Amino acid sequence: MRKGLLLGLALLLMLSVASAAWAGGTIKLAVMEPLSGTFKDIGDRYLEGVKYAAEVLNAKGGINGMKVEVIAVDSELKPAIATRKATKLIMKDGVKYFCGGTGSSVGGAMSVLAKNQGALFYTYGMAAASLTGAKCSSNFFRACANTDNQSYALAVWVAQQGFKKVFCLAQDYSFGKEAVAAFTKKLAELNPEAKVVGTALHPIGTKDFAPYVSQIISSGAEVVFTSNWGSDLTLLIKQAKPLGLKAKFACYYLNDENAITAIANDDAVLGSQAVEEYMLTIPGKANEEFIAGFKKAKGYYPTWLRGKAYLATMFWAEAVKKAGSAKVSDVIKAWEGLSYDGPAGTWTMRACDHQVLMPMWTATVVAKNPFFKHAYVGPATMVPSAKVQVPCKDTGCKGLK
Amino acid sequence: MASQNAVLHRVGLALALALLLVMPWLLGSYQLRLFTEAVIFSLYAVSYNMLLGYAGLLSFGHAMFFGWGAFSFAVALNHFPGIPLFGAVALAMASTTVMGLVVGVLLLRVKGTPFALLTLAFNALVFAIGIKWHSVTGGDDGLSIACPPLNLGFTALNVSHGANLYFFTLVIVGAAIAFAWYFTRTAMGQSVLLIRENEERMRFLGYNTNVSRLILFVLSGALAGLAGSFYAILNSFVSLDAVSIEMTTKVLLMTFIGGTGQFLGPVVGAFFFTYVQNYLSDLTDNWPLIMGALFIGMVLWVPGGLAGLAAKLSGGRKQGDQDGTLAGME
Repeated sequence: MRKGLLLGLALLLMLSVASAAWAGGTIKLAVMEPLSGTFKDIGDRYLEGVKYAAEVLNAKGGINGMKVEVIAVDSELKPAIATRKATKLIMKDGVKYFCGGTGSSVGGAMSVLAKNQGALFYTYGMAAASLTGAKCSSNFFRACANTDNQSYALAVWVAQQGFKKVFCLAQDYSFGKEAVAAFTKKLAELNPEAKVVGTALHPIGTKDFAPYVSQIISSGAEVVFTSNWGSDLTLLIKQAKPLGLKAKFACYYLNDENAITAIANDDAVLGSQAVEEYMLTIPGKANEEFIAGFKKAKGYYPTWLRGKAYLATMFWAEAVKKAGSAKVSDVIKAWEGLSYDGPAGTWTMRACDHQVLMPMWTATVVAKNPFFKHAYVGPATMVPSAKVQVPCKDTGCKGLK
Repeated sequence: MASQNAVLHRVGLALALALLLVMPWLLGSYQLRLFTEAVIFSLYAVSYNMLLGYAGLLSFGHAMFFGWGAFSFAVALNHFPGIPLFGAVALAMASTTVMGLVVGVLLLRVKGTPFALLTLAFNALVFAIGIKWHSVTGGDDGLSIACPPLNLGFTALNVSHGANLYFFTLVIVGAAIAFAWYFTRTAMGQSVLLIRENEERMRFLGYNTNVSRLILFVLSGALAGLAGSFYAILNSFVSLDAVSIEMTTKVLLMTFIGGTGQFLGPVVGAFFFTYVQNYLSDLTDNWPLIMGALFIGMVLWVPGGLAGLAAKLSGGRKQGDQDGTLAGME
């Protein structure tokens, strides 16, 4: 009797200690974003999305009882700086989870670091296909679209519209080239009659788009595919209309209210097409609830980057929840093959390369919308995941190392 | 007295060496990584000071060697599977040497401001190669490295992190710094110093000053390339950061802060910069502003740098290793 009592007491004590450690624990998530310099605005918006996800998770009692602590880290958009700061967090503060959305070079460096240090990095914005291709790693997850997915979705739209003459314009660096290559490849598959009547690559930070616009006009293109971002997107569209371009744009990044306000001419942007994995205008109750909750908490809408970072972080949280522990190896195992039903549809993490399989959403810019006084994307149309994916064998990922 | 000084010197050196050897047991893993980084940057700064301090050549493009070394190392590992670690390091150094020779032949005809501006232009050229030649360099995405183990014959060591990386760096990079010091003591090294002081006279004495300067330029580049390849090992990744203007600015700051007038000045500067940057970047995102102000302050009020200041305060040798002159600043 006494023995049994003692054993029971010991068990109770062990359980209480274990549950105290479990309930009292926090799971640290470092957000590697450019929080100073030219791309501060991008980094800030991503960070807001991750922070809101942590608030939502913590309000529900955390993940498996663990509160999520967000640590904002200024990556300065430099791989060496980002990895140095991350190394410090790993070695001194025991941080094991990292995320980021800006700069594929930062992603590549963080992927290597995560592998070497037994940490996990997930991205909600780094688009270079090679990150889950030739550079794929067991400790790197992409919970967002890559260049192939986005270009494919736009190719689907261009093919559906029946455009016969397409012009491709992109920034002259690896991202722009990758985007154009994927788009032309998919378009040729979907509609062999559609012709790419011209391709131009311009330097990043171009101020005068007149020569390129003239080239587009003379090519007779009906639509212009562009993966441009930042001022290269806004100046291009701003200058195109006064120069007489009638063709519409099929853009990577027009789902951004800041870009549309920077163009400052709704007429120039109306009718152009945007593509993303998350948009405010995705139909469904889940998205409505997310938007309402975010707006109530922050006072503004979870547009574009905020929504992307939120969704990816909630997906990561699902993986931690399923793993039942904060151990990186358990979370990696749990995330592989996991599905998440969120505001942007059902996402599944592919085990072979850690690239999420997700539907893409395309929308045309319209004048009237429920969110802003200026033009913004209209109702979003889904492009099913199967239409925008690259089969595992073609990604270049030779097994997760 | 002199022999007493020599004994003290030797005891100090032995103590410093002993301290370096026990570092992994004294420092935590992050501090050890930081220390390793400082050792690598020490070589980078020492190589730069061979140009600036010894030859009086102000270069705005030293990152081209550092980055070239880092990329050559990464390219060797990525494109020649099975290449041993030393093979990749040797290849990186060799390619940087060749590059130094080519650039040097073109550049060393000019001096002063034209030389400084041309080095800047060459740095931009190498940067452009890095960004454009995507299939080889990875462009802006950079290159990941899977560092092969160091084969010692009887065992294979993983030198990609921790104490193994530290000792590997200490031995190779330390030897390179020691060689640079030795070189400055040789007749060849001294002749460069004299060329800086009075080139015309050296010519009259029968020296081919262009050849002497070229040898120094190539050696300086090769050492920077070696530092670059270790930087790649440290980060297991190479990006365009390594060949950027910021990397040139970094070495300029390290060297000026440490002091150009003494051989160990850049080493002091490299350690100071690495640790202060690490500390400041935790406090504020605007740390480059503080470093910039510090740089201006050092140039204006402490032209001898930290090493010069230390020498002055200790009241020791009034003459620096380079005859007390502030090389490159006349």
